[in-house]
Amino acid sequence: MNQNETKLGGRDLINVGIYTAIYFAILMAVAMLGMIPIFLPLLSVLVPILGGVPFMLFLTKVKKPGMVFIMAMIMGIMMLLTGMGPWPLLTCAAAGVLAELCLKSGNYRSAKKSVLAYGLFSLWIFGNYLPLFTDYEGYFAQRESYGQAYIDAVSKLMPLWMAPVLLAACFVCGILGGMLGRALLKKHFEKAGIA
Amino acid sequence: MNAQNAYSSKAAQDERRSFLDPRTKLALTATLALFVLGGLGGERMEPVKTVLSALPFLLLLVEREWKRFFRGCLMLGIGYGLLVLMPHLPRALGFFALMCGGILTRFVVTVVMGEYLVASTSVSEFISGMEKLRMPAAVTIPLSVMFRLFPTIGAEWKSIRRAMGMRGISMGGGRAGEMLEYQLVPMMTSSVRIGEELSASALTRGLGGPVKRTNICRIGFRAQDWILLGLCLAVFALWILGLFGWEVGV
Repeated sequence: MNQNETKLGGRDLINVGIYTAIYFAILMAVAMLGMIPIFLPLLSVLVPILGGVPFMLFLTKVKKPGMVFIMAMIMGIMMLLTGMGPWPLLTCAAAGVLAELCLKSGNYRSAKKSVLAYGLFSLWIFGNYLPLFTDYEGYFAQRESYGQAYIDAVSKLMPLWMAPVLLAACFVCGILGGMLGRALLKKHFEKAGIA
Repeated sequence: MNAQNAYSSKAAQDERRSFLDPRTKLALTATLALFVLGGLGGERMEPVKTVLSALPFLLLLVEREWKRFFRGCLMLGIGYGLLVLMPHLPRALGFFALMCGGILTRFVVTVVMGEYLVASTSVSEFISGMEKLRMPAAVTIPLSVMFRLFPTIGAEWKSIRRAMGMRGISMGGGRAGEMLEYQLVPMMTSSVRIGEELSASALTRGLGGPVKRTNICRIGFRAQDWILLGLCLAVFALWILGLFGWEVGV
Protein backbone atom coordinates (compact mmCIF):
# COMPACT_ATOMS: atom_id res chain seq x y z
CA MET A 1 0.00 0.00 0.00
CA ASN A 2 1.34 3.43 -0.77
CA GLN A 3 1.29 6.44 1.48
CA ASN A 4 -2.03 7.79 0.18
CA GLU A 5 -3.91 4.63 0.96
CA THR A 6 -2.85 4.34 4.58
CA LYS A 7 -2.55 7.92 5.73
CA LEU A 8 -5.69 9.43 7.23
CA GLY A 9 -6.86 12.50 5.34
CA GLY A 10 -9.19 15.32 6.29
CA ARG A 11 -12.24 13.51 4.95
CA ASP A 12 -11.52 10.38 7.00
CA LEU A 13 -11.18 12.37 10.19
CA ILE A 14 -14.39 14.27 9.48
CA ASN A 15 -16.15 10.93 8.96
CA VAL A 16 -14.85 9.76 12.34
CA GLY A 17 -16.37 12.90 13.84
CA ILE A 18 -19.75 12.46 12.14
CA TYR A 19 -20.25 8.84 13.17
CA THR A 20 -18.85 9.30 16.67
CA ALA A 21 -21.34 12.13 17.16
CA ILE A 22 -24.27 9.92 16.08
CA TYR A 23 -23.02 6.98 18.18
CA PHE A 24 -22.59 9.23 21.20
CA ALA A 25 -26.04 10.79 20.78
CA ILE A 26 -27.67 7.35 20.71
CA LEU A 27 -25.56 6.23 23.66
CA MET A 28 -26.65 9.23 25.73
CA ALA A 29 -30.32 8.76 24.86
CA VAL A 30 -30.14 5.13 25.98
CA ALA A 31 -27.92 5.81 28.99
CA MET A 32 -30.60 8.06 30.51
CA LEU A 33 -32.51 4.82 31.15
CA GLY A 34 -29.62 3.68 33.37
CA MET A 35 -30.84 6.05 36.05
CA ILE A 36 -33.49 3.43 36.80
CA PRO A 37 -31.61 0.71 38.71
CA ILE A 38 -32.93 -2.28 36.73
CA PHE A 39 -31.74 -0.74 33.47
CA LEU A 40 -28.17 -0.27 34.67
CA PRO A 41 -27.01 -3.82 33.85
CA LEU A 42 -29.29 -3.83 30.80
CA LEU A 43 -27.28 -0.97 29.31
CA SER A 44 -24.63 -3.54 28.38
CA VAL A 45 -27.32 -5.09 26.16
CA LEU A 46 -29.07 -2.00 24.79
CA VAL A 47 -26.07 0.18 23.99
CA PRO A 48 -24.22 -2.38 21.84
CA ILE A 49 -27.38 -3.36 19.96
CA LEU A 50 -28.54 0.18 19.14
CA GLY A 51 -25.02 1.47 18.60
CA GLY A 52 -24.48 -1.22 16.00
CA VAL A 53 -26.50 0.71 13.43
CA PRO A 54 -24.29 3.82 13.24
CA PHE A 55 -21.14 1.74 13.74
CA MET A 56 -21.78 -0.59 10.81
CA LEU A 57 -22.56 2.44 8.67
CA PHE A 58 -19.28 3.94 9.86
CA LEU A 59 -17.37 0.80 8.89
CA THR A 60 -18.52 1.17 5.27
CA LYS A 61 -16.42 4.36 5.27
CA VAL A 62 -13.44 2.80 7.03
CA LYS A 63 -10.79 1.67 4.60
CA LYS A 64 -7.69 2.76 6.48
CA PRO A 65 -6.16 1.72 9.78
CA GLY A 66 -6.60 4.02 12.75
CA MET A 67 -10.12 5.35 12.30
CA VAL A 68 -11.81 2.91 14.67
CA PHE A 69 -9.07 3.44 17.25
CA ILE A 70 -9.55 7.23 17.11
CA MET A 71 -13.31 6.75 17.55
CA ALA A 72 -12.70 4.57 20.60
CA MET A 73 -10.33 7.09 22.17
CA ILE A 74 -12.77 9.94 21.58
CA MET A 75 -15.50 7.92 23.27
CA GLY A 76 -13.09 7.55 26.21
CA ILE A 77 -12.54 11.30 26.36
CA MET A 78 -16.28 11.94 26.15
CA MET A 79 -16.90 9.50 29.01
CA LEU A 80 -14.29 11.34 31.08
CA LEU A 81 -16.09 14.61 30.37
CA THR A 82 -19.48 13.14 31.27
CA GLY A 83 -18.17 12.05 34.65
CA MET A 84 -17.62 8.32 34.17
CA GLY A 85 -14.06 8.58 35.47
CA PRO A 86 -10.79 7.46 33.90
CA TRP A 87 -11.59 3.74 33.56
CA PRO A 88 -13.36 3.95 30.18
CA LEU A 89 -10.21 5.50 28.67
CA LEU A 90 -8.33 2.26 29.41
CA THR A 91 -11.00 -0.08 28.12
CA CYS A 92 -11.51 2.16 25.07
CA ALA A 93 -7.83 1.92 24.18
CA ALA A 94 -7.87 -1.88 24.56
CA ALA A 95 -11.16 -2.35 22.68
CA GLY A 96 -10.03 0.03 19.94
CA VAL A 97 -6.80 -1.90 19.37
CA LEU A 98 -8.64 -5.25 19.32
CA ALA A 99 -11.20 -3.97 16.82
CA GLU A 100 -8.46 -2.51 14.62
CA LEU A 101 -6.55 -5.83 14.63
CA CYS A 102 -9.70 -7.71 13.72
CA LEU A 103 -10.51 -5.34 10.84
CA LYS A 104 -6.91 -5.46 9.68
CA SER A 105 -7.01 -9.26 9.46
CA GLY A 106 -10.01 -8.89 7.11
CA ASN A 107 -8.16 -6.20 5.14
CA TYR A 108 -10.93 -3.72 6.09
CA ARG A 109 -13.29 -5.41 3.62
CA SER A 110 -14.62 -8.58 5.20
CA ALA A 111 -18.26 -8.36 6.31
CA LYS A 112 -17.89 -11.08 8.95
CA LYS A 113 -14.82 -9.48 10.41
CA SER A 114 -16.59 -6.14 10.66
CA VAL A 115 -19.38 -7.68 12.76
CA LEU A 116 -16.77 -9.32 14.98
CA ALA A 117 -14.86 -6.02 15.18
CA TYR A 118 -17.98 -4.29 16.48
CA GLY A 119 -18.34 -6.99 19.14
CA LEU A 120 -14.77 -6.30 20.23
CA PHE A 121 -15.30 -2.54 20.05
CA SER A 122 -18.34 -2.84 22.32
CA LEU A 123 -16.14 -4.19 25.11
CA TRP A 124 -15.21 -0.59 25.96
CA ILE A 125 -18.64 -0.17 27.57
CA PHE A 126 -17.47 -2.43 30.38
CA GLY A 127 -15.17 0.39 31.51
CA ASN A 128 -18.23 2.30 32.73
CA TYR A 129 -19.07 -0.54 35.12
CA LEU A 130 -15.54 -1.09 36.39
CA PRO A 131 -15.68 1.33 39.34
CA LEU A 132 -18.70 -0.63 40.63
CA PHE A 133 -16.44 -3.62 41.13
CA THR A 134 -13.06 -2.05 41.88
CA ASP A 135 -14.04 0.99 43.91
CA TYR A 136 -17.43 0.10 45.33
CA GLU A 137 -17.45 2.70 48.12
CA GLY A 138 -16.21 5.54 45.95
CA TYR A 139 -18.85 4.80 43.33
CA PHE A 140 -21.70 5.09 45.75
CA ALA A 141 -20.20 8.01 47.68
CA GLN A 142 -20.69 10.06 44.48
CA ARG A 143 -24.25 8.87 44.13
CA GLU A 144 -25.26 9.28 47.76
CA SER A 145 -27.80 11.92 46.80
CA TYR A 146 -29.85 9.38 44.82
CA GLY A 147 -31.01 7.89 48.09
CA GLN A 148 -30.37 4.67 50.00
CA ALA A 149 -33.08 2.85 48.05
CA TYR A 150 -31.20 3.42 44.80
CA ILE A 151 -27.92 2.25 46.31
CA ASP A 152 -29.53 -0.90 47.75
CA ALA A 153 -31.20 -1.70 44.44
CA VAL A 154 -28.01 -1.27 42.44
CA SER A 155 -25.79 -3.21 44.81
CA LYS A 156 -28.29 -6.08 44.80
CA LEU A 157 -28.25 -6.08 41.00
CA MET A 158 -24.47 -5.90 40.78
CA PRO A 159 -22.75 -8.65 42.77
CA LEU A 160 -19.16 -9.40 41.85
CA TRP A 161 -20.04 -12.31 39.56
CA MET A 162 -21.87 -9.85 37.33
CA ALA A 163 -18.50 -8.50 36.10
CA PRO A 164 -17.73 -11.32 33.64
CA VAL A 165 -21.44 -11.54 32.71
CA LEU A 166 -21.49 -7.87 31.75
CA LEU A 167 -18.28 -8.21 29.78
CA ALA A 168 -19.69 -11.17 27.88
CA ALA A 169 -23.00 -9.36 27.36
CA CYS A 170 -21.18 -6.42 25.78
CA PHE A 171 -19.44 -8.75 23.34
CA VAL A 172 -22.41 -10.94 22.44
CA CYS A 173 -24.80 -8.01 22.08
CA GLY A 174 -22.13 -6.24 20.07
CA ILE A 175 -22.22 -9.12 17.59
CA LEU A 176 -26.04 -8.98 17.55
CA GLY A 177 -25.94 -5.21 17.10
CA GLY A 178 -23.47 -5.61 14.27
CA MET A 179 -25.82 -8.05 12.53
CA LEU A 180 -28.76 -5.70 13.08
CA GLY A 181 -26.68 -2.88 11.67
CA ARG A 182 -25.84 -4.89 8.58
CA ALA A 183 -29.49 -5.83 8.06
CA LEU A 184 -30.54 -2.19 8.26
CA LEU A 185 -27.70 -1.22 5.92
CA LYS A 186 -29.07 -3.57 3.30
CA LYS A 187 -32.67 -2.54 3.86
CA HIS A 188 -32.32 1.24 4.09
CA PHE A 189 -28.95 2.83 3.76
CA GLU A 190 -27.87 1.19 0.52
CA LYS A 191 -31.11 2.31 -1.08
CA ALA A 192 -30.61 5.82 0.25
CA GLY A 193 -27.16 5.79 -1.30
CA ILE A 194 -25.13 6.51 1.82
CA ALA A 195 -23.61 3.09 2.51
CA MET B 1 -21.89 43.70 14.41
CA ASN B 2 -21.37 46.98 12.66
CA ALA B 3 -22.58 47.10 9.07
CA GLN B 4 -19.48 48.83 7.73
CA ASN B 5 -17.17 46.28 9.33
CA ALA B 6 -16.40 43.39 7.03
CA TYR B 7 -16.56 39.94 8.65
CA SER B 8 -12.81 39.45 8.39
CA SER B 9 -11.82 42.91 9.65
CA LYS B 10 -9.96 43.11 12.90
CA ALA B 11 -12.67 45.19 14.52
CA ALA B 12 -15.40 42.70 13.61
CA GLN B 13 -13.39 39.81 14.99
CA ASP B 14 -12.67 41.73 18.18
CA GLU B 15 -16.36 42.31 18.63
CA ARG B 16 -17.15 38.63 18.13
CA ARG B 17 -14.43 37.53 20.48
CA SER B 18 -15.86 35.64 23.43
CA PHE B 19 -15.09 36.43 27.03
CA LEU B 20 -12.77 33.49 27.55
CA ASP B 21 -10.13 31.75 25.50
CA PRO B 22 -11.25 28.32 24.23
CA ARG B 23 -8.39 26.68 26.11
CA THR B 24 -9.60 28.18 29.37
CA LYS B 25 -13.10 26.89 28.66
CA LEU B 26 -11.76 23.39 28.06
CA ALA B 27 -9.72 23.47 31.27
CA LEU B 28 -12.79 24.61 33.20
CA THR B 29 -15.00 21.93 31.65
CA ALA B 30 -12.48 19.22 32.52
CA THR B 31 -12.13 20.49 36.09
CA LEU B 32 -15.90 20.58 36.55
CA ALA B 33 -16.33 17.11 35.05
CA LEU B 34 -13.67 15.64 37.32
CA PHE B 35 -14.53 17.35 40.59
CA VAL B 36 -18.22 18.26 40.53
CA LEU B 37 -19.56 15.38 38.44
CA GLY B 38 -16.83 12.80 39.02
CA GLY B 39 -16.74 13.50 42.75
CA LEU B 40 -12.94 13.53 42.93
CA GLY B 41 -11.64 14.49 46.36
CA GLY B 42 -14.79 13.47 48.22
CA GLU B 43 -16.33 15.36 51.12
CA ARG B 44 -13.29 17.50 51.86
CA MET B 45 -13.59 19.35 48.55
CA GLU B 46 -17.25 20.25 49.09
CA PRO B 47 -16.76 24.05 49.55
CA VAL B 48 -14.52 24.19 46.49
CA LYS B 49 -17.19 22.39 44.49
CA THR B 50 -19.80 24.95 45.44
CA VAL B 51 -17.59 27.73 44.08
CA LEU B 52 -16.92 25.75 40.91
CA SER B 53 -20.63 25.02 40.44
CA ALA B 54 -21.51 28.71 40.37
CA LEU B 55 -19.00 29.44 37.60
CA PRO B 56 -20.86 28.19 34.51
CA PHE B 57 -23.95 30.18 35.53
CA LEU B 58 -21.88 33.36 35.93
CA LEU B 59 -20.21 32.76 32.58
CA LEU B 60 -23.57 32.40 30.85
CA LEU B 61 -24.57 35.76 32.33
CA VAL B 62 -21.35 37.36 31.12
CA GLU B 63 -22.04 36.09 27.59
CA ARG B 64 -25.66 37.37 27.86
CA GLU B 65 -27.12 33.89 27.24
CA TRP B 66 -30.27 34.66 29.21
CA LYS B 67 -32.32 31.75 27.93
CA ARG B 68 -29.73 29.12 28.76
CA PHE B 69 -29.09 30.77 32.12
CA PHE B 70 -32.75 30.62 33.13
CA ARG B 71 -33.15 27.08 31.85
CA GLY B 72 -30.17 26.00 33.96
CA CYS B 73 -31.55 27.78 37.02
CA LEU B 74 -34.96 26.22 36.45
CA MET B 75 -33.53 22.70 36.30
CA LEU B 76 -31.46 23.32 39.41
CA GLY B 77 -34.53 24.74 41.15
CA ILE B 78 -36.63 21.70 40.25
CA GLY B 79 -33.85 19.41 41.48
CA TYR B 80 -33.55 21.09 44.87
CA GLY B 81 -37.32 21.48 45.08
CA LEU B 82 -37.75 17.73 44.72
CA LEU B 83 -35.11 17.08 47.39
CA VAL B 84 -36.89 19.45 49.79
CA LEU B 85 -40.31 18.00 49.04
CA MET B 86 -39.12 14.42 49.29
CA PRO B 87 -39.68 13.77 53.05
CA HIS B 88 -43.29 14.96 52.76
CA LEU B 89 -44.26 12.62 49.94
CA PRO B 90 -45.57 9.04 50.21
CA ARG B 91 -42.86 6.39 50.10
CA ALA B 92 -42.88 5.31 46.47
CA LEU B 93 -43.22 8.84 45.16
CA GLY B 94 -40.58 10.04 47.62
CA PHE B 95 -38.07 7.53 46.32
CA PHE B 96 -38.72 8.74 42.80
CA ALA B 97 -38.40 12.39 43.82
CA LEU B 98 -35.15 11.74 45.63
CA MET B 99 -33.67 10.01 42.60
CA CYS B 100 -34.77 12.69 40.13
CA GLY B 101 -33.59 15.43 42.46
CA GLY B 102 -30.26 13.72 43.04
CA ILE B 103 -29.70 13.24 39.33
CA LEU B 104 -30.72 16.80 38.43
CA THR B 105 -28.59 18.46 41.08
CA ARG B 106 -25.64 16.27 40.16
CA PHE B 107 -25.75 16.79 36.40
CA VAL B 108 -27.13 20.30 35.86
CA VAL B 109 -23.87 22.13 36.56
CA THR B 110 -21.86 20.14 34.03
CA VAL B 111 -24.68 20.30 31.49
CA VAL B 112 -24.74 24.08 31.87
CA MET B 113 -20.95 24.19 31.46
CA GLY B 114 -21.19 22.09 28.32
CA GLU B 115 -23.90 24.37 26.96
CA TYR B 116 -21.73 27.38 27.67
CA LEU B 117 -18.78 25.76 25.92
CA VAL B 118 -20.79 24.87 22.81
CA ALA B 119 -22.78 28.11 22.66
CA SER B 120 -19.91 30.54 23.12
CA THR B 121 -17.19 28.84 21.06
CA SER B 122 -17.17 28.96 17.29
CA VAL B 123 -15.62 26.05 15.42
CA SER B 124 -12.74 28.25 14.23
CA GLU B 125 -11.98 29.35 17.76
CA PHE B 126 -12.04 25.77 18.96
CA ILE B 127 -9.72 24.60 16.18
CA SER B 128 -7.22 27.41 16.62
CA GLY B 129 -7.22 26.84 20.37
CA MET B 130 -6.53 23.14 19.89
CA GLU B 131 -3.81 23.93 17.35
CA LYS B 132 -2.11 26.19 19.86
CA LEU B 133 -2.22 23.31 22.33
CA ARG B 134 -0.41 21.29 19.62
CA MET B 135 -3.16 18.69 19.54
CA PRO B 136 -2.83 16.37 16.55
CA ALA B 137 -5.39 16.74 13.75
CA ALA B 138 -6.61 13.21 14.53
CA VAL B 139 -8.13 14.58 17.76
CA THR B 140 -8.98 18.13 16.74
CA ILE B 141 -10.94 17.42 13.57
CA PRO B 142 -13.28 14.70 14.89
CA LEU B 143 -13.95 16.65 18.08
CA SER B 144 -14.76 19.88 16.27
CA VAL B 145 -17.04 18.02 13.85
CA MET B 146 -18.79 16.44 16.83
CA PHE B 147 -19.39 19.72 18.62
CA ARG B 148 -20.72 21.21 15.42
CA LEU B 149 -23.03 18.22 14.82
CA PHE B 150 -24.58 17.70 18.26
CA PRO B 151 -27.13 20.53 18.04
CA THR B 152 -27.98 19.46 14.49
CA ILE B 153 -28.55 15.85 15.50
CA GLY B 154 -30.76 17.03 18.35
CA ALA B 155 -32.86 19.19 16.05
CA GLU B 156 -33.16 16.46 13.42
CA TRP B 157 -34.17 13.88 15.98
CA LYS B 158 -36.82 16.18 17.40
CA SER B 159 -38.45 16.89 14.05
CA ILE B 160 -38.31 13.25 12.98
CA ARG B 161 -39.96 12.21 16.23
CA ARG B 162 -42.68 14.76 15.62
CA ALA B 163 -43.21 13.60 12.05
CA MET B 164 -43.34 9.95 13.07
CA GLY B 165 -45.64 10.76 15.98
CA MET B 166 -48.06 12.17 13.45
CA ARG B 167 -48.11 8.77 11.79
CA GLY B 168 -48.68 7.04 15.11
CA ILE B 169 -45.16 5.69 15.51
CA SER B 170 -43.96 6.86 18.88
CA MET B 171 -42.47 5.76 22.17
CA GLY B 172 -44.68 3.69 24.38
CA GLY B 173 -46.81 2.32 21.58
CA GLY B 174 -45.36 -1.09 22.39
CA ARG B 175 -43.72 -1.10 19.02
CA ALA B 176 -40.07 -0.75 19.92
CA GLY B 177 -38.85 -2.34 16.71
CA GLU B 178 -40.78 0.03 14.52
CA MET B 179 -39.68 2.96 16.60
CA LEU B 180 -36.08 1.96 16.13
CA GLU B 181 -36.40 1.53 12.42
CA TYR B 182 -38.47 4.58 11.62
CA GLN B 183 -36.79 7.02 13.98
CA LEU B 184 -33.19 5.92 14.16
CA VAL B 185 -32.78 5.29 10.45
CA PRO B 186 -34.05 8.67 9.19
CA MET B 187 -32.20 10.47 11.97
CA MET B 188 -28.96 8.82 10.90
CA THR B 189 -29.58 9.30 7.21
CA SER B 190 -30.15 13.02 7.57
CA SER B 191 -27.28 13.47 10.05
CA VAL B 192 -24.91 11.70 7.68
CA ARG B 193 -26.12 13.85 4.76
CA ILE B 194 -25.61 17.04 6.76
CA GLY B 195 -22.24 15.77 7.90
CA GLU B 196 -21.17 15.13 4.34
CA GLU B 197 -22.11 18.64 3.27
CA LEU B 198 -20.23 19.93 6.28
CA SER B 199 -17.21 17.89 5.30
CA ALA B 200 -17.28 19.24 1.72
CA SER B 201 -17.40 22.80 3.01
CA ALA B 202 -14.66 22.18 5.58
CA LEU B 203 -12.40 20.58 2.98
CA THR B 204 -12.77 23.52 0.60
CA ARG B 205 -11.63 25.73 3.45
CA GLY B 206 -8.52 23.61 3.77
CA LEU B 207 -9.22 21.51 6.86
CA GLY B 208 -6.93 18.50 6.92
CA GLY B 209 -4.77 19.93 4.16
CA PRO B 210 -1.01 19.48 4.12
CA VAL B 211 -0.33 23.19 4.71
CA LYS B 212 -0.61 24.89 8.07
CA ARG B 213 -3.91 26.74 8.31
CA THR B 214 -4.19 30.34 9.33
CA ASN B 215 -7.13 31.73 11.20
CA ILE B 216 -8.70 35.15 11.49
CA CYS B 217 -10.41 34.64 14.81
CA ARG B 218 -8.68 36.22 17.76
CA ILE B 219 -7.91 34.09 20.77
CA GLY B 220 -5.40 34.51 23.54
CA PHE B 221 -5.20 34.74 27.30
CA ARG B 222 -6.44 37.87 29.02
CA ALA B 223 -6.74 38.70 32.70
CA GLN B 224 -9.97 36.69 33.15
CA ASP B 225 -8.35 33.64 31.54
CA TRP B 226 -5.36 33.75 33.89
CA ILE B 227 -7.64 34.10 36.91
CA LEU B 228 -9.82 31.11 35.96
CA LEU B 229 -6.84 28.98 34.92
CA GLY B 230 -5.28 29.84 38.27
CA LEU B 231 -8.48 28.69 39.95
CA CYS B 232 -8.37 25.35 38.11
CA LEU B 233 -4.74 24.87 39.10
CA ALA B 234 -5.56 25.75 42.71
CA VAL B 235 -8.33 23.13 42.78
CA PHE B 236 -5.97 20.47 41.49
CA ALA B 237 -3.27 21.58 43.94
CA LEU B 238 -5.74 21.32 46.82
CA TRP B 239 -6.72 17.85 45.72
CA ILE B 240 -3.09 16.67 45.44
CA LEU B 241 -2.24 18.17 48.83
CA GLY B 242 -5.26 16.32 50.20
CA LEU B 243 -3.89 13.05 48.82
CA PHE B 244 -0.80 13.53 50.95
CA GLY B 245 -2.91 14.01 54.02
CA TRP B 246 -2.82 17.78 54.25
CA GLU B 247 -5.86 19.18 55.96
CA VAL B 248 -6.59 22.55 54.45
CA GLY B 249 -9.08 24.57 56.39
CA VAL B 250 -11.39 25.84 53.67
